[in-house]
Amino acid sequence: MPKDINKPIDPVTLQVIRGSIETIAEEMAHVLFRMSFSSIIRESEDLGAGLFDTDFNTLCESESTPMHIGSIPGYLQGIADSLDDGEWYEGDVVVHNHPYLGSSHTPDLAIVIPIFHEGELVGYAGNTAHHIDIGAATPGLIIDVPDVYAEGMLFAGTKLYRKGERNETMWNFIRNNSRAARQLVDDIEAQIASARLGVKRFKELMERYGKDLVFGACNQLMDYSETMLRQRISDIPDGEYRAEGWLDDDGRNRGQTLPVKVCVRVVGDTIEVDLTGSAPQTPTAYNVPFEGSTKVAAFAAFRKLLLDTATSDTRVPSNQGSFRPIKVTAPEGTIFNPIAPASAEARFTQCNFMIDLILKAMAPVLPEEIIAGSSASISFASYAGVRDDGEYWVFLEVNEGAYGGRPDSDGPDAIDNLMANTRNNPLEDLAMHIPMICERYELRDDVMPGAGKHRGGIGVVKSQRMLTDGIITHESERHTNVPWGIFGGMEGAAGKCEIYNFSSTEPPRQMHSKFHGEEVRKDDVMAYYSPCGGGYGSPLERTPEKVLDDVLDGFCSPQHARDIYGVVLDLDAETVDAAATEALRQTMDTLR
Amino acid sequence: MARIGVDVGGTNTDLVLECNKGTFFHKVPSTLKDQSIGVVEGIHQICEIAGIDKEAIEVINHGTTVATNITIEHNGAEVGMLTTKGFRDILHIGRHKRPHNFSLHFEVPWQNRPLVKRRNRIAITERILPPTGEIETPLNEDEIRSACALFRKRGIKSVCIGFMFSFLNDAHEKRARDIVQEEIPDAYVSVSSDVANVIREYERFSTVAMNAFVGPRSAWYLRNLEQKVKDGGIPAKLRVIQSNGGISTIDGCARKPVSILMSGPAGGVLGALSEARLAGTDNILTVDIGGTSADISTIAAGEMRIKNPRDTLVSGHAVMAPMIDLETIGAGGGSIAYLDEAGGFNVGPRSAGSEPGPACYNRGGTEPTVTDAQVVLGRMDADKFLGGDLPLDPELSHKAIKEKIADPLGVSVTEAALGIIKIVNNNMALTIRSNSVARGYDPREFSLMPFGGAGPFHGVALAELVSAKDVLVPIAPGITAAMGLLGTDLQYEHTRSVITSLFNADQGAIDRVNATVAELKNVGKADLENDGIPEVQQNFDVIAEVRYHGQGFELRVPMPKEGLALENVPDVISAFHKQHKADYGYSFDDSLVELYNVRVIASASVRHLELTPLSLGSQDDIKAAFMYERETIFDDGSVHMTPRLDRGKLGAGTRVEGPAIIIQHNSTTLLPPGYAAEVQDFGSLRLSKS
Repeated sequence: MPKDINKPIDPVTLQVIRGSIETIAEEMAHVLFRMSFSSIIRESEDLGAGLFDTDFNTLCESESTPMHIGSIPGYLQGIADSLDDGEWYEGDVVVHNHPYLGSSHTPDLAIVIPIFHEGELVGYAGNTAHHIDIGAATPGLIIDVPDVYAEGMLFAGTKLYRKGERNETMWNFIRNNSRAARQLVDDIEAQIASARLGVKRFKELMERYGKDLVFGACNQLMDYSETMLRQRISDIPDGEYRAEGWLDDDGRNRGQTLPVKVCVRVVGDTIEVDLTGSAPQTPTAYNVPFEGSTKVAAFAAFRKLLLDTATSDTRVPSNQGSFRPIKVTAPEGTIFNPIAPASAEARFTQCNFMIDLILKAMAPVLPEEIIAGSSASISFASYAGVRDDGEYWVFLEVNEGAYGGRPDSDGPDAIDNLMANTRNNPLEDLAMHIPMICERYELRDDVMPGAGKHRGGIGVVKSQRMLTDGIITHESERHTNVPWGIFGGMEGAAGKCEIYNFSSTEPPRQMHSKFHGEEVRKDDVMAYYSPCGGGYGSPLERTPEKVLDDVLDGFCSPQHARDIYGVVLDLDAETVDAAATEALRQTMDTLR
Repeated sequence: MARIGVDVGGTNTDLVLECNKGTFFHKVPSTLKDQSIGVVEGIHQICEIAGIDKEAIEVINHGTTVATNITIEHNGAEVGMLTTKGFRDILHIGRHKRPHNFSLHFEVPWQNRPLVKRRNRIAITERILPPTGEIETPLNEDEIRSACALFRKRGIKSVCIGFMFSFLNDAHEKRARDIVQEEIPDAYVSVSSDVANVIREYERFSTVAMNAFVGPRSAWYLRNLEQKVKDGGIPAKLRVIQSNGGISTIDGCARKPVSILMSGPAGGVLGALSEARLAGTDNILTVDIGGTSADISTIAAGEMRIKNPRDTLVSGHAVMAPMIDLETIGAGGGSIAYLDEAGGFNVGPRSAGSEPGPACYNRGGTEPTVTDAQVVLGRMDADKFLGGDLPLDPELSHKAIKEKIADPLGVSVTEAALGIIKIVNNNMALTIRSNSVARGYDPREFSLMPFGGAGPFHGVALAELVSAKDVLVPIAPGITAAMGLLGTDLQYEHTRSVITSLFNADQGAIDRVNATVAELKNVGKADLENDGIPEVQQNFDVIAEVRYHGQGFELRVPMPKEGLALENVPDVISAFHKQHKADYGYSFDDSLVELYNVRVIASASVRHLELTPLSLGSQDDIKAAFMYERETIFDDGSVHMTPRLDRGKLGAGTRVEGPAIIIQHNSTTLLPPGYAAEVQDFGSLRLSKS
């Protein structure tokens, strides 16, 4: 692709082309989740889609889940290093998921189709989506496995279509290697339909405006995003900002916590995220592919922090430009940059925790932008069983967390946190199709969120009951590491997970935050309690009426209101006793 | 005998009266505190203008934003909710997806502005089991009575009931309703299995909660209006336009106001539809451009599209009520043009609204808007705006564009103004495309219909951008929505989930589906009979909402007229494959096909607006219509001395060659060079390349 087209494009045409490519990305994502079958794609929208140039720059990406956004360039580099035939032909369709060749993790299959213009390769349309079963050691998710080969089918630059011709051998192979073959194959078809649409739309755009103008505009839009981010970085004082914490364990070696260290180095208009000092790579699947996940998470952290879409009028385009000012460093052989053949499938909670630490590190210089500690984990559960006809059923569920308190508002409750942004599964739809039923889906009331001027968000409790015997694998975090409060705010609450039997009186079993291949019986219930966020600012500064609201809504006990917030209530009249509150707060303030 | 359509907008209340003396249009200022005052005033005035006795008015069709405004201002009722134990926070959790991917400071509408506060969501012991709907745990009636006691203590008069799996068995919800009515006799009670009897708990609960939230005030408004009309000596039947474009009675809407949340914009699409019929055009892309936003929809083969209920959000809350598929974007006359910190050139979505309004209004606005660009380009004559009622100051437009856009970019004011128009047009064009092309329609087979006062300024440019066939400018673009109110039918919709595999449906399964359809038809029939519609005029459309087993989204296909039968199941399946292919470009021909919901639309045709054709014109009309001429700049930058023509003087069949500006009260049509406008039989203008 010609890079010499640096002639500035007039701002009007630039906006027109920007709108067009953004619409293409959204259309691609829309087709993918509307058409797909597995609930992880269609309901949770665990996917990403976009257009890329031949240098693997992201030209545009759909607004789907952040973990996918930004991961495809890594896949494209990996495909280039492993492509069948060693070259692209018009009509090729490639599937790819190799974690040591740039993928985000193995279940996220990428489908990539080359875009040819007048016989020349000019770019790619691609998407990624999470598939429920690619034939790993156990159904759905995995944690305690020895190496990457236990993750299931590995695809590297594999052509599903070659010059427009379907590679039936490959399709048959895929069909024979998944516990949910039908869904896997149909969802790949949906991905192909989405990528084909991207190719078609991008070609139409080039026909209309000419290839050079379109790519010139794309380059300029990348520069634009880069400029925006660099401006914000320049406003931060140069320096090294550090934070550290730990992860519960690697899913096998119980009680052995894993340190995570973050150093954010700001120099002028650049940032380096240095993860040196974090744990060595683990012997389980609890590692993070560097290209496809570690880097993506670090980029996302600064987009949230510096280009917040809710507080800014200006929307910065989602493209490669927003990645350029940020360098990510993680020594090889560590949890954020494992060496083959280590498995690296269960990588989400580490990424989310890294972002939480980045926010904590930046607190001294960005007090009005950062937020208190969030749940910063994820609950990713796979439930599976075998039907009477011998066929497997597999169901993947993402459970939400909660945000830390914020400079101007409380942390949102029961919502996907930081890198995660999926949708939940309607419980009624689930129960009509899978031998499971939900016993409880509510806000946690066994603990209270971190108190503060702006309190932390409240975590969720979800209890799912199996109606047949089966297998559960669960990936979560922060059973021991409580989300922190900040600037006088109090800490939130740790997460927990229990399994009990619906028809038995035995007490619940306390589960580790990660467990793999747990065999369960009919009527066993897994109850997951997500962590609650920490508070922001002193609880004594919280508006008394908000404390009253929280007491009435059951988010705060009257005792807690008095002891921590210094607020005295008349519960019968449902009002604040203003005089008593002021007096109490004064006393507490002098004792501080 | 006369009929009136009355559409209440943010600024004006528009009226159309049709009687044996002809069709009359009128506008009065909206009375936003109580819309009914303006409505009744307008009715009196338009009767006077037409010189008819108000007792001659038979029907008043009303488009209202009352319910919509309650959601926007979030000032509905304090609502109490009864829900299943263990699921108290479904409304608080929603679908657990954030509205923003890249933000730490985002708002969560369903948590920040809840329809029901948690303290008023009371969990009740009861349980209905899937997949059959059997009762596992009976309803605890004592808990309901204590919840009611709490509601009484808190002064709560609006109660909604949403139990898990009530779409399979509504016995508990119905019993709970009876108890609430006993305990709080004057309560406004909404029941999820009445309001949206479909699967998916969050969406169903959110819909019933929204009904309870907007219900009491909407009902009060509608009944108050009914009374005021009656007290004003007007014997007419009062009807209300629903979000799906059908009309319903005051009673029906007061019970289920969740069906009128999009009543306002629906009128515009209906108006476009009746204009399209008059002009003999089946395929229309509608663009209703107002001051702050544009509503965009697609009419294909003479039918408007209904949105997939999975996509209908109102003020951030899921509402599963049938609504016309229209998209609203922040692009209108008041949209502000600005340069961001990295030099990006943006127009909207921020708007100057009507206060302070565009810079040229001279009400303190200093930021340039789309209207200012039109003024600078000589398309809006400053001394003639709204017939000279509101003189504009072109100097202020010039200054705003120069200071905020032209100078920083180093371009001329004209270039900057052209840029503003081009960007706002492009924003609209992208939405038109996503509402049409992205749904499998070829815009080359569609006419673009621009309306709203500012619409016809943009018609030709938009048609070029989306490759539409031509442009059809309605008779009265400023009041198309009010006219639409006289062009629609009585309509009631009822839906129920009947999850059935079509692939291996046996006679028993088919009988169950048909029984559900029959039940829904009976409910719809009762609705129509309540309205006094005789059996011969009753019409029932049955729609199957179908998906591949395992998919999350359904598509609609018509149910066979004679009902479902073993022999015609394959037809339904193949119709679904076809629809899937049309929508997504692919069909899974060997996948299991599953019937998910059935929907029955009970309707009755009412008389539509009957306009008389214009008298035949001649080319001399153009001379007669000539008002004056001025220099005008067109989108390609060319400058032409451009005549201003009085649209009222152009007879049917007259053909005007561009460049020209065709003026009528409240609206201006821009006809660029190289285009011609042809006056249609009923007075609409068709603009096409000459």
